[in-house]
Amino acid sequence: MKFYIDNLPIVFPYDRIYPEQYAYMCDLKRTLDATGHCVLEMPSGTGKTVSLLSLIVSYQQASIWLSFYPTKRKLIYCSRTVPEIEKALAELKRLVKYRVSTAETPEQREKEEHFMGLGLTSRKNLCIHPEVSKEKKGKVVDARCRDLTSSAACDKGRADPGSVELCDWHENLNKYEPGNLLPPGIWTLADILQHGQDNGTCPYFTVRRMMPFVDVIIYSFHYLLDPKVAEQVSKELSKDAIVVFDEAHNIDNVCIESLSIDLTRPMLDSAARSVTKLGDKIEEIKKTDAAKLQDEYAKLVEGLQESTTDNSAEDPFMTNPGESNLNVIMLPDDLLNEAIPGNIRKAEHFVAFLKRFVEYLKTRMRVLHVVAETPLSFLQHLKDITYIERRPLRFCAERLQSMIRTLELNRLDEHSALQKVASFATLVATYEKGFLLILEPFETDNATVPNPVFHFTCLDPSLAIKPVFEHFSSVVITSGTISPLDMYPKMLQFTPVVQETYPMTLARNAFLPLVITRGSDQVAISSRFEVRNDPAVVRNFGSILVEYSKIVPDGIVAFFPSYLYMESIVAAWNDMGILNEVWKNKLIFVETPDANETSIALENYRRACDNGRGAVLLSVARGKVSEGIDFDHNYGRAVIMFGVPYQYTESRILKARLEYLRDAYRIRESEFLGFDAMRNAAQCVGRVLRGKTDWGLMVFADKRFARADKRAKLPRWINQYITEVASNLSTDMAVTLSKLFMRTISQNPNENQTGVSLWTLEDVEKAQVKQKEQALLHEQEQRDMDDMEEDEYGDGGIGDEMLGILDI
Amino acid sequence: MPSVICTAKASYKKQLGSLELTEAHLQWTQDGKKAPSVRVPHQDAASLFCSKEGAAQVRLKLGLINDDAGHNFTFTSTPQGVAYSERETFKMELTNIISRNRSSGLLAVAPTTTTATTIAPTVATPTLKGPVTTVSSHAPTPLPASRASTSRAASVASDGRVAILSEQDAAKDFRLRKKVLLASPELLALHKELVMGGQITEAEFWEGREHLLLAQAATENQKRGRSGQLVDPRPQTVEGGEVKIVITPQLVHDIFEEFPVVAKAYNDNVPNKLTEAEFWKRYFQSKLFNAHRASIRSSATQHVVKEDPIFDMYLERDDDELEPRRPREEVSDLFINLGATLEDHGETGNEKDVTMQAGRQRGALPLIRKFNEHSERLLNSALGQGPPSKRRRTDSADKQNLLSQIEYDDLQDHESSPGVLLEMQGRQRYFEGQFGNMGEQREAVDVRDALVGLRNGLDGWEGRFSQLRVEKKSSDAALLSMTQNVASRLDIKTKKSDFPPDLFRQLMTCQTAANEFLRQFWISIYPPPSDFPTPSSLSSTATQRSAKAAKMAGYLGKTHEKVDALVRGAGVEGVEGGRVVVAMKPILDAVDHALAFYRARNVGGGKAVGVKLV
Repeated sequence: MKFYIDNLPIVFPYDRIYPEQYAYMCDLKRTLDATGHCVLEMPSGTGKTVSLLSLIVSYQQASIWLSFYPTKRKLIYCSRTVPEIEKALAELKRLVKYRVSTAETPEQREKEEHFMGLGLTSRKNLCIHPEVSKEKKGKVVDARCRDLTSSAACDKGRADPGSVELCDWHENLNKYEPGNLLPPGIWTLADILQHGQDNGTCPYFTVRRMMPFVDVIIYSFHYLLDPKVAEQVSKELSKDAIVVFDEAHNIDNVCIESLSIDLTRPMLDSAARSVTKLGDKIEEIKKTDAAKLQDEYAKLVEGLQESTTDNSAEDPFMTNPGESNLNVIMLPDDLLNEAIPGNIRKAEHFVAFLKRFVEYLKTRMRVLHVVAETPLSFLQHLKDITYIERRPLRFCAERLQSMIRTLELNRLDEHSALQKVASFATLVATYEKGFLLILEPFETDNATVPNPVFHFTCLDPSLAIKPVFEHFSSVVITSGTISPLDMYPKMLQFTPVVQETYPMTLARNAFLPLVITRGSDQVAISSRFEVRNDPAVVRNFGSILVEYSKIVPDGIVAFFPSYLYMESIVAAWNDMGILNEVWKNKLIFVETPDANETSIALENYRRACDNGRGAVLLSVARGKVSEGIDFDHNYGRAVIMFGVPYQYTESRILKARLEYLRDAYRIRESEFLGFDAMRNAAQCVGRVLRGKTDWGLMVFADKRFARADKRAKLPRWINQYITEVASNLSTDMAVTLSKLFMRTISQNPNENQTGVSLWTLEDVEKAQVKQKEQALLHEQEQRDMDDMEEDEYGDGGIGDEMLGILDI
Repeated sequence: MPSVICTAKASYKKQLGSLELTEAHLQWTQDGKKAPSVRVPHQDAASLFCSKEGAAQVRLKLGLINDDAGHNFTFTSTPQGVAYSERETFKMELTNIISRNRSSGLLAVAPTTTTATTIAPTVATPTLKGPVTTVSSHAPTPLPASRASTSRAASVASDGRVAILSEQDAAKDFRLRKKVLLASPELLALHKELVMGGQITEAEFWEGREHLLLAQAATENQKRGRSGQLVDPRPQTVEGGEVKIVITPQLVHDIFEEFPVVAKAYNDNVPNKLTEAEFWKRYFQSKLFNAHRASIRSSATQHVVKEDPIFDMYLERDDDELEPRRPREEVSDLFINLGATLEDHGETGNEKDVTMQAGRQRGALPLIRKFNEHSERLLNSALGQGPPSKRRRTDSADKQNLLSQIEYDDLQDHESSPGVLLEMQGRQRYFEGQFGNMGEQREAVDVRDALVGLRNGLDGWEGRFSQLRVEKKSSDAALLSMTQNVASRLDIKTKKSDFPPDLFRQLMTCQTAANEFLRQFWISIYPPPSDFPTPSSLSSTATQRSAKAAKMAGYLGKTHEKVDALVRGAGVEGVEGGRVVVAMKPILDAVDHALAFYRARNVGGGKAVGVKLV
């Protein structure tokens, strides 16, 4: 359908629209018009992505024929996982196809056809080189690809064919005009792979080189938030681009992750070996090609800035987001303008410097008690012992990169540990606040063999996202579960212009949330640490699964609070014979540590659901499956949340983070923990819905879910459907309610949803007229308020003014 | 009296008596009584269980098709040897009967649910395909036919063999009909009344009800998949610290399928190196078996496990690494490819805390993998191999699939039906009238005038208000009527079931019968668009239909008489006849309507008249 919001023509690729979608688009437009940021929560499964894309593409396409939208703004759409990225691309493809088919004039049609959108992911996912793509580890793929495609290798290989092995697929790209590697249109990742195979071109570099020419780019959060990657991938994006973080409920964690580093003893050993190798290489080059090192030195004296620009001019899109560690860390501007300090400009000096630093870290690792310190105190100690200053440390990553380039090293994956140490050095010397160093000599409290880990942990999520908010004018943060809304602006330190959550309009209740607080034997159930392994609790959890496997058709998904708990409870259930009962009704699939193995299990789970055999999938909240995989329709008729998915509160990193949140942002520990647990629970549970004809049961099995403060943290659209009765149930009562619900929902809906939870074009127009009227009324009221200081009742009664006219 | 095949003394539910096997039944008669109190037709026998050799009591349990609990008999002849040999005789005969039941395909259940003849630890001989030795007179004639003779439908039995569903053979069709009838008591009652009462034929009765038969046939034809349970033979401990595991052919089959390595070991070693019994004995004591058990509590059984040079060769190391031992093809569908996300960007951040590291409980990993593999195997056994995972999504069917995963079906306008227009006389006038009124009202409202009017009307309201009197009489009357209303409702509620049960049943029968006639009547007048197969003999021609209509009309004509009879009967029972009339009024109205219609049609000259519903 086509309609207007204000003066903006919107093409929505369906005949109907949900009221939520319309409201969402209106608010989104407001944000874009105001060139500000926003936080929007829209119920899961009500077509968030399609509304978002529909509005923004309309906005982009309109900007040329309406004079007051100055330029075409690029859309940077970030999502969490590859399945989500692929889905977003597919939605975009469908949308553009629809736009083309409904275009009114040939010019318009041509314009729609020239709209271009691409997705970007790592080399590992896009490589079609027969040998390289066989590599299991992304890191190795990156390194091998680099060896075949780096500008140095290419120069050599082209000058003297056969001397250096090159990648044919990469070479073939040079046959095409830059900027014309692909016909215009929307390309999903699968499409790109297919195109690469058909034309003998490299899909990865096709995308990288086409990036400046596309209207929409879809990739993962990390490519924008991780400074090591962002510098490479996202630097060239213009300021007026629209940035969208979809599924952003965990965005703070991504921010924190992108600035945190762990060092272990094997890593340091490997780094030390790399340093030695580098030293040898330098000695060797000194003998053969001393001029090269001299050149580099001269460049560095001139200044860092130049060297980076040089490099990017040379091969602008050669670096890979996946490998990351080598690359420049996005530093405050003042730093970028400084030159690399003198004491590490000479290669051999730098190697000695690194050696000292690695040795120092190794010594620190020998301590057998837990240490927690701030970066400042770490630097002080470092200076006292080794005389390493803060300034050269800051340039460590940069300097290492330059050296690797000069030495033309191959197989960088072997040096990844050293790269990590260098990144660590730069980070620790750059940030003073919001970070903590924690040394944990033992893995667990009762371990006796030391396995020390040096955590450099970021506590403040706003640090990583700050450049994004500063650089881009409109940042949209959206998800199905992002309650409470004010938490995000607080944690990420920004001011949204629009902050909105939408209730779900339903013609009939399409989902039934239930809180089970006790088993049929009235024993309270909880995943609280003290009771979670109590046989009564384990059995009661089990009987919930058994009962639901009896009554629910097709797929059931169950989530546990942690891997540890899931693994122990699965074993316990098996020994108690509980799983035997489940086997009678459904097949059982379990998430495993291996991602591919789990994908296969997932594929089979879907087959079992399609076939009607039905299956149960056991997985973990915050785990691999809980993000990005939809369990809509028959793939998930019930989702059971066993326990509240709290984080492990004994973790030192978490404790440090909680403390920081309390001191810096006045967010209480319990508040944050509760918020974090509930957003993950809601996320798991929200996966079962897609569209309003879909239905599902949502079972929260823990007595703590019954508390009002917990429930208040659930998104409004879920909370509004938890009745008083359903908030405190025993297993048998819950089963009875569920049966009743399924009996009702399985019948054909008699009432027509149209007009209530489903709008036609007329409904949209009606709503707009109403909106306008209300706006007018509001304006009028405002004016009236200004005019006279009398109270307005707003009840449509006889106005005072009118009474005044009357002559009684 | 059919001839007795064998007999023995046996107790049933702690009552002494004698057990007999005749050509058609297994029956048990209590001592001192003449009629057998347990009588099981051969066709109902589904499974057989015996107590072990040397057990204190010689028992035999017969499971029935619809009743797994079955019957338990204890052979009481002394000495025990005699009882035992008697049991063996019964066992042999019954085994044959059961196997014949199975092979005749009567059981929807696949034979996997087994006769568990429990002789440990030897392998029981497969009992499923035993030759039919006894009861030769009954040979391959379909069983339902023999049953029919015992049913009360003797008079219509021959008629009943007429196939309703064209592609079914008569016997099977009859069986279906019987099942449908047995499943629904109301239908059975109706059938009894009308068909066995000879009022309508069997074929007529089923006309319009074919879907019930088709549904029944579909249910029966549905192949039941394999049971999902894990193959996990649990040893039973018997006295003396011995461990026993009962082996059935089914179990052997399952073990071979679940653990191909055992099948391999079996092929390698039996019968050259080991005998069959020895093989199983050693297997269950080996580490291999322990590794195959679906439990992580292996330490408890550790002491029983012995080194075994043969089986230890087949032992594989535990599959408890983070990565599976057996590398698998990558999943190509990006929508569910979790690995792609993992490789989408370099690893960042601190390591996960202890509880969130997958695979820390190493003992559970083999178990979890076993679940996944077992489920996959079950799926493959039903659906064939999984999708070729190498394939890229290129073909159009897959593209369609891709789209269907992201599309919102309910947002699509599927050419909604325009609905049925309400036929109304003088529609125009009706709407115009409405509009007219509204228009007038609109015009009439002039705010100023109205306000003036209002003001005038309000003049002196205080005085008038003080004079306001509410009249007592009318309010009393209102209250009274309300009370009466409530009282009468209460009255109705309390006097709910005031028909005597006997009369009520009669009323019901009369009603359902009349309904059935009505149904038949209208079917013959307006044949339903048949979208399911009806046999050609029954897809009735117009003449047949009119004949049938006439017949039904005749039946319907008698409804009034019947009701009158009921009214009279009610008088005898002491119930007011009028209430019966009221109760039967709707059905009588319907009958009258049908009859009137029929007469009108006939007068109008039969088929040619256009039909018009009022």
